[in-house]
Amino acid sequence: MSMRRLLPGMATYAVTLLLAGFIGFPLLWMLICSLKPSAQLFVSPPHLLPTEFTLEWYRNIVQQSDAPTYFWNSLVVGAATTAICLSLGTLAGYAVTRFEFPGKSIFLVSALLSYVFPAIVLFIPIYIIINNLGLTDTLLGIVICHTILTFPFALWMLRSFFAAIPREIDEAAWVDGASFLRTFTMIILPLALPGIFSVGVFVFVLSWNEFLFASVLVTSSAHKTIPLGIAEFITSFDVRWGEIMAMGTLATVPVIVLFLSVQRYFLRGVLSGAVKG
Amino acid sequence: MAGILFVMPAIIFMVVFVAYPVFDAVRLSLLVIDFATDESKFVGLANFAQMLRDAKAPMVAVNTLIWTVGSLFGQFALGLGAALCINRNLPGMQLIRTILLLPYVVPVIAIALFWRWLLDGSYGLVSYLLQAAALLAPNQSPLAIPDAAMASVIVANIWRGFPFVMISYWAALQAIPEEQYEAASVDGANTWQEFRYVTLPNLIEISKVMFVLRLIWTVTFFDIIWLITKGGPGGATEHWPIWIYQESMGFFRFGYGAALALTLAIALMAFSVVYFSLMRRDTR
Repeated sequence: MSMRRLLPGMATYAVTLLLAGFIGFPLLWMLICSLKPSAQLFVSPPHLLPTEFTLEWYRNIVQQSDAPTYFWNSLVVGAATTAICLSLGTLAGYAVTRFEFPGKSIFLVSALLSYVFPAIVLFIPIYIIINNLGLTDTLLGIVICHTILTFPFALWMLRSFFAAIPREIDEAAWVDGASFLRTFTMIILPLALPGIFSVGVFVFVLSWNEFLFASVLVTSSAHKTIPLGIAEFITSFDVRWGEIMAMGTLATVPVIVLFLSVQRYFLRGVLSGAVKG
Repeated sequence: MAGILFVMPAIIFMVVFVAYPVFDAVRLSLLVIDFATDESKFVGLANFAQMLRDAKAPMVAVNTLIWTVGSLFGQFALGLGAALCINRNLPGMQLIRTILLLPYVVPVIAIALFWRWLLDGSYGLVSYLLQAAALLAPNQSPLAIPDAAMASVIVANIWRGFPFVMISYWAALQAIPEEQYEAASVDGANTWQEFRYVTLPNLIEISKVMFVLRLIWTVTFFDIIWLITKGGPGGATEHWPIWIYQESMGFFRFGYGAALALTLAIALMAFSVVYFSLMRRDTR
């Protein structure tokens, strides 16, 4: 629209295709390499298009490594984080759009500040708290950390979804004698469901991808999430690239699928300033 | 009153896991903690004094600066360019937009692994091309050369971060009223003048906010460097967060690590306050 005359169509295509190649090529290359047999993977110069494909690396990680455990742990941690974050977030997000209470603006400002505040600054005291609660090397410890990281942005995003639902709907329900809690669970939550779903997806994706806190908390292989599992693979002495590419692909595919499912809510999230990059 | 009840779980969570850690970060930074005995001793500002004397500090600060300036420059340049392109409703643009947004969700660990694979000295595609162009010795990886390693992690961070800038600029472009362009063309503005006097002024507000956000998140971004180089070779890519991590998780000097973290937080806060007050005076 606005820039329609600055560049001719061909030039726009050229620039976007270059950028799309910059983004898309490494991802595609990871996928291709995960399917190459070792004779074509470990050659120089590299073969752009393999002539043979194999599922050997995928078979190896499923049968010979702890990868299935890592995927299960990531799924459990992601689901629990999403559930806790959405429970706290929908209640609070509803309250700040419907009620006045003392300290409301302090609450909102501190949520905003903690959204901007970087995790690296607070990871030592948070680690110590988790340690004092006896939760190091447990999935619950990771869930708490991931909730800390995702809650502020979830709250801001949920707040914008609740604010979009007219107050008159609540008031009509109250007039009909519904309690606050009943109005919230039976009327408002269903109306906000698409928004809540998309926030849930973002929380899950952040948790699925998170590395720093999980790496600090977890020591035993039984409690590792996928990023930790892969990190162990790439930093070990014998770097097994085939298996690494397969694990990277398996870790990336689910989040891309989830992202595509909520893409239409995405811009709205950006506009409400709720998506951290 | 009902409002308080609804918001109480969130408040309790934030007090225990956000407010208390902030307080604790300050307390820890004034302590020296013996890792073996778990005994702590109050040392006042000694950790901060030690930081100022630390031979590593200037190198880490310079690395942080290079990392931040390089990443931000690349992200804003590519982000703005990409936003101007995807803003045109050409056929296929929907698909391209989707591809350009993918780095948002790709796990950092996956970025790190395919970057290391592309830059692998023996089998990496990018290394091979650089070797063929005689920019690298045979079997050499850019990650083994200090300056090239820094450039590599910056490129990886641009890959990851520019979609954020792009989508924010795109949202701002979408919000420009069409009338402004019509008025400009009635006044006989050419393409460049439209861009200069209509498009750019509408991007200034979002640029101001985004600059601070990207700055804070870039300076403090830990994962990508750690997973690609661990701060190496020889500390060439060690920026402030890596230093914090190594002091606390590598050497278990929690007090010193907390002091480094607090210094970073205070520096960023001071910068933001000065920046926003200058910006406000500017617009008035």
